[in-house]
Amino acid sequence: MHYESPVRNPLILGDKSYSDITNDIAKPVESKAPRAWWIAFSIAFVMFLWGVGNILYTIGTGIGVWGLNKTVDWAWDITNFVWWVGIGHAGTLISAVLLLFRQKWRMAINRSAEAMTIFSVIQAGLFPLIHMGRIWMAYWVMPIPNQFGSLWVNFNSPLLWDVFAISTYLTVSTVFWYVGLIPDFAMIRDRAINPVQKHIYKLLSFGWGGKAKHWQRFEEVSLVLAGLATPLVLSVHTIVSFDFATSVIPGWHTTIFPPYFVAGAIFSGFAMVQTLLLIVRKIFKMEDYINIEHIEMMNIVIMVTGSIVGVAYITELFVAWYSGVEYEQYAFLNRATGPYWWAYWSMMTCNVFSPQFMWSKKLRTNLVFTFVISIVVNIGMWFERFVIIVTSIHRDYLPSSWSMFSPTFVDIGIYIGTIGFFFVLFLLYARTFPVIAQAELKTILKSSGENFKKHHDEHGAH
Amino acid sequence: MTENNKYWRGIEDQSNPELAEKLAQNEFSNEISQADFLGKDELAEGETSRRDFLKFMGFSTAAATLAACEAPIVESIPYVVKPDSLTPGVPNYYASVSYDGFDFASVLVKTREGRPIKIEPNNDAPFNGATNARVQASVLSLYDGARMQSPMVDGVAASWGDAMAAARALMTENSVLVSGSVISPALKTAISKLGLRHVSVDAVSQSARVDVYESLTGRRGLPTVSLDKASTVVAVGADFLGDWGGENLMGAYAAARKPGEGMLRHIQVEAGLSLSGSNADARIKAKVSEYETVLAHIYNKVAAATGVDKIAAPAVREEIASSVDNAAMELIQAGSGALLLNGLNSVTAEKLAAKTNELLASAAFNTSTLEYTSTGSDSAFNALLSDVKAGAVDTIITLDSNVLYFSTEMAALADKVNLVSIADRADETASKAKVALPLSHYLEAWTDAIPVDGVYAVGQPTISPLFDSKSAVEIVNGLAGGSESAVDLIKASASTTAIAKTWNALLHDGFSTTPVLVVNYELSPSINLSDVTVGAAIEGIEFYTYTKAGMGAGSNANNPWVYELPDPISRLSWDNYLAMSAADAVALGVENYAQSNGAMNGNTVNITVNGTTLENVPVWIQPGQTQGSVGLAIGFGRESVGKVGNGVGVNANALLATTSTYASAEIVATEVEHGFASVQLAHTMMGRKIVNEINLPTFLHGNAAEWNETPTFETHKGPLTAFEANLWDDHDHETSHMWNMSIDLNSCTGCGACVVACSLENNVPVVGKDEVRRHRDMHWLRIDRYYSSDMNEAVAEEEGIGAIEKYAKMEVPSESPSVVFQPVMCQHCNHAPCETVCPVGATAHSREGLNHMAYNRCIGTRYCANNCPYKVRRFNWFNYQANEKFTDVNPAQDDYGRMVLNPDVTVRARGVIEKCSLCIQRIQLGKLEAKKDGRMLTDGEFTTACAQACGSGAIVFGDVNNPSSEVSHLKQEARAYHLLEEVGTQPSIFYQTKVRNRA
Repeated sequence: MHYESPVRNPLILGDKSYSDITNDIAKPVESKAPRAWWIAFSIAFVMFLWGVGNILYTIGTGIGVWGLNKTVDWAWDITNFVWWVGIGHAGTLISAVLLLFRQKWRMAINRSAEAMTIFSVIQAGLFPLIHMGRIWMAYWVMPIPNQFGSLWVNFNSPLLWDVFAISTYLTVSTVFWYVGLIPDFAMIRDRAINPVQKHIYKLLSFGWGGKAKHWQRFEEVSLVLAGLATPLVLSVHTIVSFDFATSVIPGWHTTIFPPYFVAGAIFSGFAMVQTLLLIVRKIFKMEDYINIEHIEMMNIVIMVTGSIVGVAYITELFVAWYSGVEYEQYAFLNRATGPYWWAYWSMMTCNVFSPQFMWSKKLRTNLVFTFVISIVVNIGMWFERFVIIVTSIHRDYLPSSWSMFSPTFVDIGIYIGTIGFFFVLFLLYARTFPVIAQAELKTILKSSGENFKKHHDEHGAH
Repeated sequence: MTENNKYWRGIEDQSNPELAEKLAQNEFSNEISQADFLGKDELAEGETSRRDFLKFMGFSTAAATLAACEAPIVESIPYVVKPDSLTPGVPNYYASVSYDGFDFASVLVKTREGRPIKIEPNNDAPFNGATNARVQASVLSLYDGARMQSPMVDGVAASWGDAMAAARALMTENSVLVSGSVISPALKTAISKLGLRHVSVDAVSQSARVDVYESLTGRRGLPTVSLDKASTVVAVGADFLGDWGGENLMGAYAAARKPGEGMLRHIQVEAGLSLSGSNADARIKAKVSEYETVLAHIYNKVAAATGVDKIAAPAVREEIASSVDNAAMELIQAGSGALLLNGLNSVTAEKLAAKTNELLASAAFNTSTLEYTSTGSDSAFNALLSDVKAGAVDTIITLDSNVLYFSTEMAALADKVNLVSIADRADETASKAKVALPLSHYLEAWTDAIPVDGVYAVGQPTISPLFDSKSAVEIVNGLAGGSESAVDLIKASASTTAIAKTWNALLHDGFSTTPVLVVNYELSPSINLSDVTVGAAIEGIEFYTYTKAGMGAGSNANNPWVYELPDPISRLSWDNYLAMSAADAVALGVENYAQSNGAMNGNTVNITVNGTTLENVPVWIQPGQTQGSVGLAIGFGRESVGKVGNGVGVNANALLATTSTYASAEIVATEVEHGFASVQLAHTMMGRKIVNEINLPTFLHGNAAEWNETPTFETHKGPLTAFEANLWDDHDHETSHMWNMSIDLNSCTGCGACVVACSLENNVPVVGKDEVRRHRDMHWLRIDRYYSSDMNEAVAEEEGIGAIEKYAKMEVPSESPSVVFQPVMCQHCNHAPCETVCPVGATAHSREGLNHMAYNRCIGTRYCANNCPYKVRRFNWFNYQANEKFTDVNPAQDDYGRMVLNPDVTVRARGVIEKCSLCIQRIQLGKLEAKKDGRMLTDGEFTTACAQACGSGAIVFGDVNNPSSEVSHLKQEARAYHLLEEVGTQPSIFYQTKVRNRA
């Protein structure tokens, strides 16, 4: 039990014992769902079904039901893809990178952040599939042995790298998340009264016995997986950014994209974590575990990454001017002043200006304000991808091909559907999984718990 | 010693050898008793009685008779004995002629397995051997299910015998035959045999012009033009690259405009921006009603210079007076190289132009060789109208003339006469006729033609009539009581025209030139201007009609290809619209504006001419349009043409008397909005070097490295070109062929023939107005059109304008723009951006410099289309062959229309990308032919569909690894450049700089 400086704020509020933590975290799983959950789930499920309908309509009729045209061949599909992948980033960052950096405040939020990662990567993965003209041939992107002779995938294509990056990311995140869940599932198993429930959690907990050897293996696997997942935080969005950076289209062909995309992804991911946890802590009364300290930490990350993104935007403009390439210059001028100026300035306002409020301690510890900003940031990050994708290709080299894009109800419907799908998954998760990594949290109770810190202050270290 | 083993043939052989032996001898055990079958000694004793025998015989006879009758063939069956000339998979070509009263062309018809599938130019033909967009598209009109399928009497299908009898019953002394221009001698003979009054009237009338030459030479025809003898041409309202006369001048124009000393100088005076005006070196905006004064002004200048009396005429508008003066001065300086062309259907205007040419002794203006493709007479038609009004006409027989559509006066009088209509479909005229006789498409019919002095051409059928139709000459001859077949009539006609060729040679070539046919007409007495009065211009707004490059006079008005082809000038498809100047539009408060999805919308107006109002006519604000003058294309607004054309656009003929082409108009803006199908949203080049354009002095005296600068990159090795600063491994381009294409922007007139030819050759789907509106046109080859802008880098720098304002102003085309056309198809980049990004390798590079597209491998990510700097890749958004949204427009959804598909080219599935293949099917065929013959390919042995269709020779395709090929020479030209070379794509297509003959 190591000592923690009194300068650091407590991470677990109230007079909690180990048993209290267990009870608090197992409660949503063991009790009946509150009315609010049912309402939220119903809405999410309807949205999900609407999305399913629109996807089936697209597959049955053709991509023509979207608003795309001969010039703008990607719009909402890839915007949504990148947006969802970006959101996914926070989970891995929190669970892996912060683990390696021994940031204890991650313990209260990593479970939900990882769940969010997995669920949003599922949404993201949908788009590259359904945006294909012939989805029934989608397996051709896999380098699998085939009967077509020596026909192989094109390893030059960033889209192929995407396939590998996303599938690797999804696999590692899921494994990492699951490993962390094992002791917690075991905790629920041990408490379960309903035999069916007990049996299910028995299977899920892989026979966890809480032995010292189990804990040792658990720690080792977590560390190894954290080591594996850390480069993924950088690689996934780097590779996603290659979709654009390796192209020849002004506004896409930008070497700054990899770091810029990664910062943006962390930015949007934290905002989404913020949105979700502010709701979860309220509904499941977990204010003691996810407290102002956590929220403030995340707001600081949002502020820093938002500023990085802002620097990237300005760098892009500078490089466009400095390059002397007229197509490049026009592409960026057109972003800011062309027909999609409103998208550009929405992006700038949401992503660069709004996080600057977080410099104020008063604002960044204000829950309502935080919630609003977290939504604003995600709107802004959606616009960022839209701006990059659509405003670059709608006016590229030859003015004869310039065009515009406007979504159809199907574009909108599929987007809404993925939001619905995401919340369906998240709400199911919140009712059946321990939403906080209680086993990990218990390790810091004696160092970062409020009453223990107070006790320490009052009585000194002995 | 061998043992004589016994082998049994079966178990029976061992167990019962006798039976086996017996069975072996009697293979067919149930032998039919011969006696039973034939009867015994007496028939009565046999089992087959005499009655039975007669029954069998009766049945057999009846069965044999029935079997001999024609049975409907439901399924196609293979030949038992293959005709010599027909090999499945190998096309046959037949020479023929295409004439629809507006376009005349000598063509080669490509047939596959007995189906005509492509119209190709007859390059050997002495007159109009080139094909324009309409002639290219006309093959699809053959497979139009809306054509009349049998003769109709009172709206009920009838046999030919009954229908001809019904038609003859309606023919009286007071019957009139109304047709367009007739150039077929055989048809003329049949018409004279018919003995009825014959009125010839054209949908696009040149009547007054023809009258001038008739009064001088005694023959109704129009002068031909030798642009090779001209050094300066001034065209007043004469869109000689479009609808002016029947002579196709594309090739001659391109040849005369070859950059260099003696390049033809072209000045166009016109109201609306035409193809000719777009290509001109200088363009003067004048109203149609000012043409006469402009011509009089030029004439007076020339008269003054040559010492002839001037004529009295109103003064030319001040704004254009000095430009017109300059044009006149240039003509005078050109001397016999001068050529003044008039496009106005007015005796005065034509006389002034002809007289000016006469005064200048123009060598380019041939009044000795006349062409006859437009010889209708307005006065004869007006006389007919008054006779009908007076009740002096009983029956009108229309011969391929939709007179109730283009003449509102006649439509109003239709009830006063009995109508007999010889037409290809139940159009606006035939649907009201008592008797309608179906006319064969030209690809099903025999015909002949004298389109111009000295040329006799024949048209032969290339397929049996699809429906129960007959050729014009056969029907008219039949009405006149004759019973000869069409081929006999044509043969007879050919023999009387004293041609030098044998019948077979004539059919093979499609034409014959013979001096016997040439009649030298001298303009004597020379043109007399004493009776000429020059009319004053219309104050306020004038309305005029014109023809579009796709629609022409409207004979293909149910053909989706002509609708889908974007207008070369406005880049709008599936519409006609009131072309209006920006100043007039501002005054009226009408606008054009883009929707959020890029689709263009506009306001509409009500336009009133001579008391007739056309409501909700969409307005298109047209740069280059003369203020105070609005134009509307004819051929649209059809009611009874078929599912494709019905209800598309408005009928411009409704506003004008049949014989006039312009009138004063009143226009009121309405609240109604109209959606356009615009394929091009931005109209200027935004200061980029996309079409490289220079003036002639720069070309002659400038440094090519300056006016055709190769983009370079600053590197540590010094400045390098995009070809040198290269990150990639190069493909091997030395071995074997390397296909390249040169596109001469100086020769390209923007006519659109290549676009239609490409669609035909490559089964490019038609997607209809709504999809084109959404910028989802599927054309593999497009012709970009750019206007100049009043704003450019130099102006911005001079006036100190910032970048944002500069670019905003650059987007606005000039009110008097210079216009350039640029055909763009897949550039077949040798470092193709599309090839690297496809995850499944569906698009790959060939060793011959082509960018291949494997449709079967494509999964439709569209990444390639995004990464294409030229935006030439097209995605199959829907299943165009089955989706019901396209039932009305896509020929591939029609049992007849499907027959036009080229069997050599895959019809692409939903969800895959497609693009120009440089007609790989033709390349493969050519290579295989050469391989079979064991020889090297020769240059020009085959070419792409676009290059073949290009009447001006702007597109040249070939192998640059063949040092003697034309394209390899063109690649060395100083004018050659690659589009967007700085992107480093190393295209196989290159362009030739456009040169304008101006200082």
